[in-house]
Amino acid sequence: MATREDIETWIARCALGDRRAFQNLYDNTSAKLFGIALRVLKDRAEAEDALQEIFVKIWHGSKKYTAGKASPMTWLITIARNHSIDRLRARRDDHDGDDKIAAMADASPGAEARVVAMGEARRIEECFDTLEEDRASAVRAAYLDGETYADLAERFNVPLNTMRTWLRRSLIKLRECLEP
Amino acid sequence: MSEEALPEDDRARAAEYVLGLMSKDEAAAFAERVQRDADLATLVARWQEDFATMADETVEAVQPPVRVRRKIEARLFDETKTPRWLIPGITGLLAGVLALVLLFVPVGTGVLPPVDPVYHADLAGEDGTIILAAGYDDTTGELYVIPSLAPQEGTAHELWLIEGDNPPVSLGLLPETDPARLLLSPDVAQSLEGGVLAVSVEPPTGSPTGAPTGPVIASGEIVTL
Repeated sequence: MATREDIETWIARCALGDRRAFQNLYDNTSAKLFGIALRVLKDRAEAEDALQEIFVKIWHGSKKYTAGKASPMTWLITIARNHSIDRLRARRDDHDGDDKIAAMADASPGAEARVVAMGEARRIEECFDTLEEDRASAVRAAYLDGETYADLAERFNVPLNTMRTWLRRSLIKLRECLEP
Repeated sequence: MSEEALPEDDRARAAEYVLGLMSKDEAAAFAERVQRDADLATLVARWQEDFATMADETVEAVQPPVRVRRKIEARLFDETKTPRWLIPGITGLLAGVLALVLLFVPVGTGVLPPVDPVYHADLAGEDGTIILAAGYDDTTGELYVIPSLAPQEGTAHELWLIEGDNPPVSLGLLPETDPARLLLSPDVAQSLEGGVLAVSVEPPTGSPTGAPTGPVIASGEIVTL
């Protein structure tokens, strides 16, 4: 299992044009990123195309990655998730021209995220567990299924503004749990 | 709704921004605020970290078919690139280069590697372990190095450029393990193509003779990208 340092090193070496580092990075992270693309797109052929684009973005974007800021897996997962959601929404836009949802935010903001320590993943799970089950699943669906407020309101059968209020409260509760 | 007036609501707004729940206009306005407000940028980065960690835990890894990797590599690497510049005959220039005092500038972590490297070299020891990775950026004229083996107490690692049968040219003493960059003179930069980089063990102040005196612990060909 590759460590955080391994992944950081491979990304840094991709920025130097090192193909072997890229192969190592691909071998160690492509299954997770493919899993994410599949989860978002729910279509194997499209997820394969997405994975190609994701790794092309990683190769070209590696120069922008700064070790010690976002954790390397966060950086990779954000690229994979955002690209997959952009595709999902482009597909929807073909059917529904008035979709006004924004394209995804950049994967590497300049700000420093705290280093994710061992056990952090568990803490995040525990904080999700403090939310009511359907609200936790709404937050997950927004991230992993690219659901919009309109989608969520329909799925939970509540008015749009109610959905908005629900989700915002849940997000604040989540943040308070994550950073008491 | 007046959520803009409530400062604590930025926690939720930042999450909505990361999740992609804002309209295009809202997201553009929020992105502008993120540019100006470091605290808000930190909040956005934390949400990205937390959601990505959640996704890492929630989503099962699925092995992609081999064809995906082949397609990616074909797209990224198979194009036959024309060298950025042709190399004129440079025999004889290297002797003059020897007199230059070259210093590596440690760049610490967080400094960006070359924007568009044209050359790359991996320097491996006898057992195949990579001891140094190097990339050269011809827009800045800088060689960027990442050493991964610190010299033993009382010694230093010196980097050499070997071009054909010419004597090795010192590129300077390497930092211990921090990434560093070195501004190359155009003459040296021109002899990178087709050359070899090597690392030798030297006294702490570098080779006293201008040629490698200690064992060469790693070498690698310079690859044109």
